[in-house]
Amino acid sequence: MLAAWRPVFACALVCVLAALSGYLSLSPAAAQQDRSPDAALTRLLEQVRATMPGACTQPRVDRLVRILCAGRIRVGVRDYYPLFATNENQVREGYEVDVARAIAKRLGVEVEFSRVNAATRIPLLAEDRIDLAIATMGHNTQRDGQVRFIRPHYYQSETAVVGPRNLSVNGWADIPERSVCGTVGNGSNAELVAHNARLMLFDEAGLLPGRLMDETCTLAAQDDSFFAYYFIDPAFSARFVQKFGFAQVPWGMAVVQNNTAEFAHALDLISQIFHRDGVFLDIARAHRIGTGFLEKQQAVWQRPDCNTETGATNPACVLPAFDAELKPTPFAGRVGAFEAWVSSWTGVELLLPMLKTAPAWSLFKNGIINTFILIAGALTATLVFALAFGAAQGSRFRLLHWSARAVTITLQSSPIVLTLVIAAALAHAIFPYSSAVAIGAAIIALGLTNGANAGQAISEAIHSLRTEQTALPVGGLQLFVGALGRSATQIVAFLVNATKGTPIASFIGAPELLSALTDISSFSSGRVTTYWLLLIFYTMVVMAVVWLCGRLRLFLERNRVPA
Amino acid sequence: MSVLIDRLSSEFLPLFLAGMAINFEIAGIALALGLVLGFLLTLARLYGGVAGTVAASAIALMRAAPTFVVMFFLLNAIPRDATLFGEAFALSGVMTVAISLVPYSASYVADSGVEALRQLRGGSPLGALLFLPNVTRAFFVLVMSSSAGAAIGVVEGITVILRQAEHLPTLGDKLVLFAVGIVFFGIPLQAGFVLMSFLHRYLRRAVTRDPGVAPAADFETPDL
Repeated sequence: MLAAWRPVFACALVCVLAALSGYLSLSPAAAQQDRSPDAALTRLLEQVRATMPGACTQPRVDRLVRILCAGRIRVGVRDYYPLFATNENQVREGYEVDVARAIAKRLGVEVEFSRVNAATRIPLLAEDRIDLAIATMGHNTQRDGQVRFIRPHYYQSETAVVGPRNLSVNGWADIPERSVCGTVGNGSNAELVAHNARLMLFDEAGLLPGRLMDETCTLAAQDDSFFAYYFIDPAFSARFVQKFGFAQVPWGMAVVQNNTAEFAHALDLISQIFHRDGVFLDIARAHRIGTGFLEKQQAVWQRPDCNTETGATNPACVLPAFDAELKPTPFAGRVGAFEAWVSSWTGVELLLPMLKTAPAWSLFKNGIINTFILIAGALTATLVFALAFGAAQGSRFRLLHWSARAVTITLQSSPIVLTLVIAAALAHAIFPYSSAVAIGAAIIALGLTNGANAGQAISEAIHSLRTEQTALPVGGLQLFVGALGRSATQIVAFLVNATKGTPIASFIGAPELLSALTDISSFSSGRVTTYWLLLIFYTMVVMAVVWLCGRLRLFLERNRVPA
Repeated sequence: MSVLIDRLSSEFLPLFLAGMAINFEIAGIALALGLVLGFLLTLARLYGGVAGTVAASAIALMRAAPTFVVMFFLLNAIPRDATLFGEAFALSGVMTVAISLVPYSASYVADSGVEALRQLRGGSPLGALLFLPNVTRAFFVLVMSSSAGAAIGVVEGITVILRQAEHLPTLGDKLVLFAVGIVFFGIPLQAGFVLMSFLHRYLRRAVTRDPGVAPAADFETPDL
């Protein structure tokens, strides 16, 4: 019985094995074909077209349906961002313009450009006046909540630190205490501040190349895509070079978040294909922009694990958004409520950025502490140098007298900024750069400048008392104490002057309050309020010192020798 | 050192002298504005009453306001698109520094002015004339203080020196360059002090011939 069925079993087994073998040999290729982004895009477009024209009139359909129904895609691009998007005589050119054209071609629709800028690109998307923004927009975590970014990213920029070719700056180690020009509100300012750069801020990035050329700025920090245009100018590139870069930010095309699932997926797939096939790369080369990022991305999207219809959601393939959010302080909410309360009651827009984020709060606290250290140090140093210079200049030893006099004349002839720079240069030749060294150098410079002048007043008082010595027998310590009383007004005046001079210490990188608030306002809003508070703070501090010095003057004048 | 000499001989001096001219320009503007404002404050103080109190308070505040902070305040707190009487009111770097020095110059002029008018009322026109050397002193103090403009990119004398220093390889070369700067700033400053002393001495002699009138205060401090 079994023997009779054996050929049947054998045949059946062969058939099963053959089928299994066929499945195993054919399935991977077939699956790979089905899972490619090209096939997925074709399927998606076919599915959408299958719903047309019926879906064209339905409300709340996906944006892809609307675009295919209309036969056109509205793309927001910049009007003047050289090499990336320009519009001269109604002719649009640039990397982003050609990317938009390539996408439209792939979708089989016409492209209609609209002008956007940094401020309008997201609102125009939200108002449904454009379908897609390709407008030099960095993909950061803050914007993730406002728009849907297309992955993979079509470009990546970084903040480039640009300076003269012959200037030895190679990285962060060379940045402390150097002036770096940048633009107000640039997110990368916080990183420059963290590396002790001295920021000089402008409202417009367009001013930076000119300020580099006329040497107002030694170094300038701005997006490398911005400098790309200037580096194709032989005159500019002959003088300047990118020293180093930081804060890499991927650029993303963006669509609105609602009713764009299929549209965004189609764009994701197109971006994958464009990277893999070198379409982005070819367009970039045609417009002579940097291609380093695109070359790396091409290698990524040619990898089997990324070259799939789900590659755009694979964390191993796509780049994360740039994390631009600053950690809030524990009391940021209450500060915000206070700002709102002031605004509602007075109509004045009060912004207190120094109290709302952790880095700003830290800078602010340290700035106040350092300011008081600086003031106390400058007052002490002025008093000590005043006594020393006064004693030396009032001395009967000619060598000591004239040496002190020569130093005083030199210090009087040196503008305080120069004296500070010299003190900082000498200090940094001995010690490595640090905030403490900068504060110490500032204390010495302010003390020397004001102490020398106050010392001169003391010595003049000593000489005047000596002249009167026949009528009034004084000498030694008694003479010196008498001279202090006689020159009390001048000593106090120079002590006050030293206090008023402390903010200038920010010029050599001392992190006092002016420096701290300038840094805070470079990466946050509320500049006007910040500088009002700064002015009020310093004026009140100086007035307090004037009051305290008035008490000191009364004390010194008790020792005044009557004429 | 040869790098330093090459640079100094080729391009530094013309740039530096042009920069120093900016220092004098800033000081001139600050003093002119200070004279106008200081004169008004002087009149208000002498008038007394509410106007006198307000003027005295304003002068006290202006004395206490640090120049460097005022400069950054002007730079950052005035919107770039601000208008005054319908006209655009964007301050240039030079004007920003000059106006930041006005609180000092105006309070100084007001103090000296009050003293001068008191001398005049006391019957000593020559004592009142001591106002002139005091204003001369203030001018040179303003020239030195105008170097604060280096912090906001104004191309004055110290800015030129610091730019040159950036390109010098050794600390020694930099210190020589700084010394050159001190000499160049020191010459007009010391010459100014000599001129002022001469004026002061001349007027003081004249005042002492004027019985019953005490000489005006003759020592003021520089401002930072």
